[in-house]
Amino acid sequence: MLSRAVRPAFNAAAVVSARPIAADAAGYATLREIEGRLKSIRNIEKITKTMKIVASTKLNRAQRAMVDSRSYGETSNTVFEKAETKPIESEDKKTLIIVCSSDKGLCGGIHSGLSRATRRMLEKKPNSDLVVLGEKSKAQLGRSSGKNIQLSFAGVGKDVPTFADAQAIADQISLLPTDYADVQILYNKFINATSYEATPIEAFSEEAIRESPNFAAFEIDDEVLANLREYALANSLYWALAEGHACEQSARRNAMDNASKNAGDMINRFQILYNRTRQAVITGELVEIITGASASEG
Amino acid sequence: MAFAWKASGLTYNRYLAVAARVVRRSLKEGERLKAERRGEMELKFAKWENGKQGENKSLAQANASSMAEGAGHGQGQ
Repeated sequence: MLSRAVRPAFNAAAVVSARPIAADAAGYATLREIEGRLKSIRNIEKITKTMKIVASTKLNRAQRAMVDSRSYGETSNTVFEKAETKPIESEDKKTLIIVCSSDKGLCGGIHSGLSRATRRMLEKKPNSDLVVLGEKSKAQLGRSSGKNIQLSFAGVGKDVPTFADAQAIADQISLLPTDYADVQILYNKFINATSYEATPIEAFSEEAIRESPNFAAFEIDDEVLANLREYALANSLYWALAEGHACEQSARRNAMDNASKNAGDMINRFQILYNRTRQAVITGELVEIITGASASEG
Repeated sequence: MAFAWKASGLTYNRYLAVAARVVRRSLKEGERLKAERRGEMELKFAKWENGKQGENKSLAQANASSMAEGAGHGQGQ
């Protein structure tokens, strides 16, 4: 309003004022723009903060489940350690790789870390078969090595994995027609709150168990051996799922923490920019008023 | 040594799951609800052939039906 009223006087009187007017017009526009961006960044910060809090609460439960399941899985594997079971090295039999990821994203690079480790293993043994748990790794591995995938499971990682989950998966895996020389369960090992490593757990085939050097120490009937194998597979799967879940939650917590921090930084920067632009606009207006007044006086 | 559950087509894991469910169901009300949450399983799975994903199916149903197929004389549940 005001600037329009005094503009004729300006144009006639001062050439210098052409620049402030242009900056002024742009200043109004950017001021609103900056305000809009500030608002949206604040909203994003709110969301990431909430997700972080949710992840932290879930992390506690997940870690407890992980500690329990780890001792469970390790106990189950003690049998094979004592029996000195080794995977059979044979050319004609395939290896099965079970990848334990989950359905949800927004948790940094843990899924792609698993997929990368899987691809590395596939390079060494190109005719291995894959079983993928969770949508994320399925999408990644489906693109690069879809031919190797035999089964994929969805619905993993909604909550802390239960033993029932592991059992059902183990059952479906043992129904696969091919006889595998050895089974590798690939999962994210929880090293500490910020680092994880894709690690394989061995699950042995019946033949491998039977041929282990110390097998005679355990008086196991041949008929029961299949049960032991299935049960050990479920145990290892449960361990891998629970530990993977804990890793995912902790990775999500970290990712959301970083996102909130970055949003905070951006908010600070934009706030300063916003204040500066606002001041510039006010100064511009003052200059206009004063020059207008002095021009009409003279 | 022949097992009754093996003859009826169950795997060891399935046998354990059934036994665990029975134990959970026989608990006291409050404890039972907590325990039954641990027994839930809502996974879906799909078979892949030649790099293509097949149909998404419920894992619980598929397991039950495949075991019914392998059953010699009815489901032992």
